Amino acid sequence: MPYQQMDDKSDVDSQKPEKMFTLKKWNAVAMWSWDVECDTCAICRVQVMDACLRCQAESKTDNYGKQECVVVWGECNHSFHYCCMSLWVKQNNRCPLCQQEWSIQRMGK
Amino acid sequence: MSRSTGMTSANTPGLKHIDLDQIWEELHTGIEHMYNFQSMSRTDYMILYTYVHNYCTSVHKSSEWSSSSVQLKSKKNQATSGAQLVGLELYKKLREFLRNYVHHKLQAGLNRMDEDVLKFYTKQWEEYRLSSKTISGMCSYLNKYWVKREYEEGRKGIFEIYQLALVTWRDHLFKHLNKQVTNAVLKLIERERNGETINSSLVFGVINCYVELGLNEDEPGLKGPNLSIYKESFENVFIEETERFYTKESTQFLSQNNITEYMKKVEQRLTEEQKRIQINLHESTSERLAKTCERVLIQKHMELFHAEFQQLLDAEKDVDLGRMYQLVARIPDGLGELRTLLEQHIANQGLAAIEKCSETAYNDPKVYVTTILEVHKKYNALVLVAFHNDSGFVAALDKACGRFINTNAVTRMASSSSRSPELLAKYCDILLKKSSKNPEEAELEDTLNQVMVVFKYIEDKDVFQKFYSKMLAKRLVQHMSASDDAEASMISKLKQACGFEYTSKLQRMFQDIGVSKDLNEQFRSHLKNSNEPLDIDFSIQVLSSGSWPFQQSFSFGLPTELERSVHRFTSFYSGQHSGRKLNWLYNMSKGELHTNCFKNRYDVNINFIICKKNNVFITCRYTLQASTFQMAVLLQFNMSDSWTLAQLTENTQIKHDYMTQVISILLKAKLITCEEEESELKPESAVVLFMGYKNRKLRVNINIPMKTELKLEQETTHKHIEEDRKLLIQAAIVRIMKMRKVLKHQQLVAEVLSQLNTRFKPKVNIIKKCIDILIEKEYLERTEGEKDTYSYLA
Repeated sequence: MPYQQMDDKSDVDSQKPEKMFTLKKWNAVAMWSWDVECDTCAICRVQVMDACLRCQAESKTDNYGKQECVVVWGECNHSFHYCCMSLWVKQNNRCPLCQQEWSIQRMGK
Repeated sequence: MSRSTGMTSANTPGLKHIDLDQIWEELHTGIEHMYNFQSMSRTDYMILYTYVHNYCTSVHKSSEWSSSSVQLKSKKNQATSGAQLVGLELYKKLREFLRNYVHHKLQAGLNRMDEDVLKFYTKQWEEYRLSSKTISGMCSYLNKYWVKREYEEGRKGIFEIYQLALVTWRDHLFKHLNKQVTNAVLKLIERERNGETINSSLVFGVINCYVELGLNEDEPGLKGPNLSIYKESFENVFIEETERFYTKESTQFLSQNNITEYMKKVEQRLTEEQKRIQINLHESTSERLAKTCERVLIQKHMELFHAEFQQLLDAEKDVDLGRMYQLVARIPDGLGELRTLLEQHIANQGLAAIEKCSETAYNDPKVYVTTILEVHKKYNALVLVAFHNDSGFVAALDKACGRFINTNAVTRMASSSSRSPELLAKYCDILLKKSSKNPEEAELEDTLNQVMVVFKYIEDKDVFQKFYSKMLAKRLVQHMSASDDAEASMISKLKQACGFEYTSKLQRMFQDIGVSKDLNEQFRSHLKNSNEPLDIDFSIQVLSSGSWPFQQSFSFGLPTELERSVHRFTSFYSGQHSGRKLNWLYNMSKGELHTNCFKNRYDVNINFIICKKNNVFITCRYTLQASTFQMAVLLQFNMSDSWTLAQLTENTQIKHDYMTQVISILLKAKLITCEEEESELKPESAVVLFMGYKNRKLRVNINIPMKTELKLEQETTHKHIEEDRKLLIQAAIVRIMKMRKVLKHQQLVAEVLSQLNTRFKPKVNIIKKCIDILIEKEYLERTEGEKDTYSYLA
């Protein structure tokens, strides 16, 4: 038989009748990833979640440095490693995937 | 002739002619005097010296060689014109004298034997040697000019007087007497070998004489003996004699004693012989003697040694093993067999030790790893102490350990060699997980080092990595690590052993936990500032995807009670970062519920119950530690006491098979009841909240991992390993081919094996499959016209 009280934001101690169970604590686990359409960087063929090839090679000497190899989105909504793209635009200022003029829409942080 | 006239003629060379006959009488008397070992005053010696000098510097007209001297003079430059070198007559007389003297002595010695002949020989030799030195000194003018000139003209058979004496001794006495003397020396040595004390100065005297007699005939002017006499007349026979003696002795000794005793004997004999060389014999014999002894005493009985080695290993007689090593190491290539035996023995011991405990060890990582370590420790110590850490024996130990660690009773039970790395990783988990039995920091560090000893031998290091990262992930997410330092230390050990790549994900995981800690604090102060606190105690861990071995979330309808938290945090997080999306792992999340139900009639005096006064009932407020799925299901009972499984599934969006597991755990915990049997849960089955729930503890953990989850995890781990290996093999093939361009099949396989052996041992048929995949993907092609050859396609 359903209870009358259906309010989900009740203050447990002062309200009556009490609910059977009240939530006290929640330890959540979540996974973050770049909000990208394709999870590999088309320039270095490495997953965007991992550092790009160059950064991987360099961090061999870096003992505990956080890898700050972020992702960049163009206006075309294609995404690459920022390191990879900044080298690419020196040669060709177009998106390697759609050949549109490259301009940065946003940067990962 | 007086001394003064001699001096005068010395100052005016070429002016006087002195006849040898005039001085020989006096010289002869003097020389005889010396050889009789009578003392002579300095003055008398000087007189004799002067005679020789005067004779040598006098003009010698009647010499039969004078014509040749003149001829020579005319050929050579004018500087030598005044120096008529005289000496042949005197030389002849001296030679005659020495021959007579030596011949006389020979007669006295011919019939002597054994020690008697030695005493005679050494005494005579010593006297003769000293006297000859003196005579040679007396004739130094003759040596310096006449003899030297003869050398220069290349005349053979002319020596300085001391050497003349040696040659005379050699040709006229030694030649006839040396067999007797050598025999006597050998007999003496044999007596010493048999334990008697001997007069070693006799041996020493004879050896010195032999050494000195070794003249270089072709170039008598060369200083120093060439040992030819010593080697021919003594060393060769001595070595033969030694060989005979020890052949006999060793056979005899072995027939009465065991090898252990024999080795002691051999050790003693070898030192004795070494000492004999130092005291009595010439050092040049050292190597030959040692070689001979080693050959006769050790090499000839090698088979016995080998047979005994196994016995000694079985009986763990480390001291005797060390002795055997010392002895056999003397024989070139002698240790090979011992190494093979040792390797086999260690492998057998390891296999037996694991076999013995395989039933428990199969599921008890600690028993498994400590059993391995005990075997390793024991034989590592043996190799270190008894075998002096000989590189070959270390290699044998390593090989044996590799063998029994990767294939043994336990891996056979699992029918997979990856059981070993799995158990080792699980052992690490036991060590690093928070528990009541966590050891001290130092002890833990030590144990982790021991783990690394076993790790070194593990072939499938990739399997270890998989299991290790899974368990590390769990420890970190559930805050179950005993110590961050120990975790970091273990990761750095693995990094040292296998490189950056091997541990990069482990390290990333470790970092994520630190980042999450900060994030939680920031979120908490953000909530505080917003004046809109959450009504639950919320915390979160945000992990970077790709580094953690977690599966993506299952379908799940978030309970309304949690929505606010998720919403608040998500908006906070996107304020902190940009371009990121969050994927909530509800299956990994957990929480706590308070119960307000279960108001049962209890005896009031149960002391751990929280009582509410004025209430006939006693409310037991339990705290349930539950998984998010369990929480979602339990919260449904706020709305109704009874649900069917289908209803619950619809309300929570939890998939049916997970739902049945959640329900069955709740049933087991006796929080709900059901008419049906637990194993026969159907969507129509109704479950009811059990109001009579009681538990002795107020905090109850009902968050038990689901069975299928565990099983699934194991299976996927193994499946992932196979897939990852294929990728690694393909990558290796491409790397190799990119470098070599064209390569034969066999070579390619060999290079792939060697590139990957730090991670795992690829199976050849898998390599073949990978080659085929790469041909299909047009990375490689078969070279036309050539069998078994591939070429790289750029």
